[in-house]
Amino acid sequence: VSDAVALALRAPLQAAIELDGITADRIAGLAELEIASLPVWVGARQAELGEFFSVRGGRSARVRVEGALTNVHGLGAGMAGGEMHIDGDAGRRVASRMTGGSVEVHGSVGDEAGMAMAGGTLRITGYAGDRVGAAEAGASKGMTGGEIIVGGSVGSEAAARARRGLVVVAGDTGDYAARAMIAGTLVVLGRTGGEPGRASKRGSIIAVGGIVVPITYWHACTFEPPHVRLIMTYLRRRYGLAIDDRVAGGRYRRHCGEAGAHGRGEILEWAGQ
Amino acid sequence: VNRRGVLIEDTFAEAFTMRAARIVVTAKNDRWAREAALKFSGFATSVIACKCEAAIERTLTPAETPDARPGVSILLFTMDTDSLGKRLIERIGQTILTCPTTSCFDGLPESTVRVPAGRALRVFGDKFQISKVVAGQRYWRVPVMEGEFLLQETFGIEKQGIGGGNFLILAEDADSALAAAEAAVAAIAAVPGVILPFPGGIARSGSKIGSRSYTSLVASTNDAYCPTLRLTTASALQEGVNSVLELVLDGLDAAAMNTAMRVGIDAACRPGVRSITAGNYGGHLGPHHFHLRQIMTEGGAS
Repeated sequence: VSDAVALALRAPLQAAIELDGITADRIAGLAELEIASLPVWVGARQAELGEFFSVRGGRSARVRVEGALTNVHGLGAGMAGGEMHIDGDAGRRVASRMTGGSVEVHGSVGDEAGMAMAGGTLRITGYAGDRVGAAEAGASKGMTGGEIIVGGSVGSEAAARARRGLVVVAGDTGDYAARAMIAGTLVVLGRTGGEPGRASKRGSIIAVGGIVVPITYWHACTFEPPHVRLIMTYLRRRYGLAIDDRVAGGRYRRHCGEAGAHGRGEILEWAGQ
Repeated sequence: VNRRGVLIEDTFAEAFTMRAARIVVTAKNDRWAREAALKFSGFATSVIACKCEAAIERTLTPAETPDARPGVSILLFTMDTDSLGKRLIERIGQTILTCPTTSCFDGLPESTVRVPAGRALRVFGDKFQISKVVAGQRYWRVPVMEGEFLLQETFGIEKQGIGGGNFLILAEDADSALAAAEAAVAAIAAVPGVILPFPGGIARSGSKIGSRSYTSLVASTNDAYCPTLRLTTASALQEGVNSVLELVLDGLDAAAMNTAMRVGIDAACRPGVRSITAGNYGGHLGPHHFHLRQIMTEGGAS
């Protein structure tokens, strides 16, 4: 039993490898050698984790992954519990299909981080690619639970088809944020990209740093939404996000839409006070 | 046992197990949080006639509330879980939902036994209500004419709450009794987890079970402690006692009750007070016994 399991990349990768299923909860019951023999995929070839990573420690639900990981995909994918700390930039699908535990990335990640996530927390200090918290290809629902906190900006289609859960982007988003959102909340502290909330049925976009509201949304009123204050207070306390009192307790323009869908979605646009 | 010349009688307060909830009300400012809390806890002095007992526990700073606004915590006690849920729905719906700027949160988040009072109240929104999950807790945004009312879906229950702790202040005159009771209330206000459900925390009309004359009465005046009846009933009052006031305490646990009774009794030991005693039923009805001398000398036990 060790305090944490350390996975250190042995050498820069020439080809991408897939680590889906190498999760903290799975590692928690395994010894060092057993962890090293866990299967990973290099294209269509199955290999062992130990071929690419040196493994130190065992039988711990805390995992630290280190190295130049941009060619390592699926880190924390399917995780159900425990903690995974990723030091450095990571590849695609970080914490996708995650149901519990926490994944913390000290760096930036590729596309589809937190995709189809159902629980737990994913925190990324840097940037994230497209489709954060969105749906897998062909799936009707994206994220169904949990929290994703991105310190930088994200690409397009953040929280697309999200059914539940909270996605927070401290920077800007790309286009089509919350596309076809079913429910849940997307908080954008920076600027929200073009065509937000297209085809959304329900759910909330809380836009602080500027947004061009589609014409398919109608302005309902300007008010102080109490749940925004609750969410912002939670984000400050839980994640230490620097959110001004004027943002947490300020007035927001409520836009309802979208007209072409269910019409019960909303964009809450910070009114400046 | 004598404290600053006041006799602490060798007796005990007999108390009962009750269900408790803690409700946190926040608002734009202290005034509106307090308005809602006062209305919520109105007419809630005794389960005998009010179906519940409730009072403000303490004022909360913005740092202590879920939405960083000024707040007030209220404790509500009933005899059973079903009744607690009903009282929460009635009182939140009529007093907090209606009060400008307020939001309503659960103050016992660790409790695994929960009542879905917010889920019941959400229907006031007539299907325009919106659900939000924050930190694993579901909240309801209920549209109201002012804007939106935010309400937590479930409220935790403390199943081992204690109701009916008490002590009586026996004084030479009414002014001394009131001054001592006020001092006790002020001291107990600093103890978390305890409320005093009677007006200003003080009851002047302590009761006995039933009635000697009216069979339908559940409770009637505690004639043994009425100074005007000293010569016409089996009085428990010594010569020189001309006024008695009672403090009734409800608490989330025995430790809080012990602390509250100790600081309250200590504060009540003032000039003009002859003795401090407590009400019980011979120890046969309530499972919790707060022995006054033990509380004052050893820190208390139940």
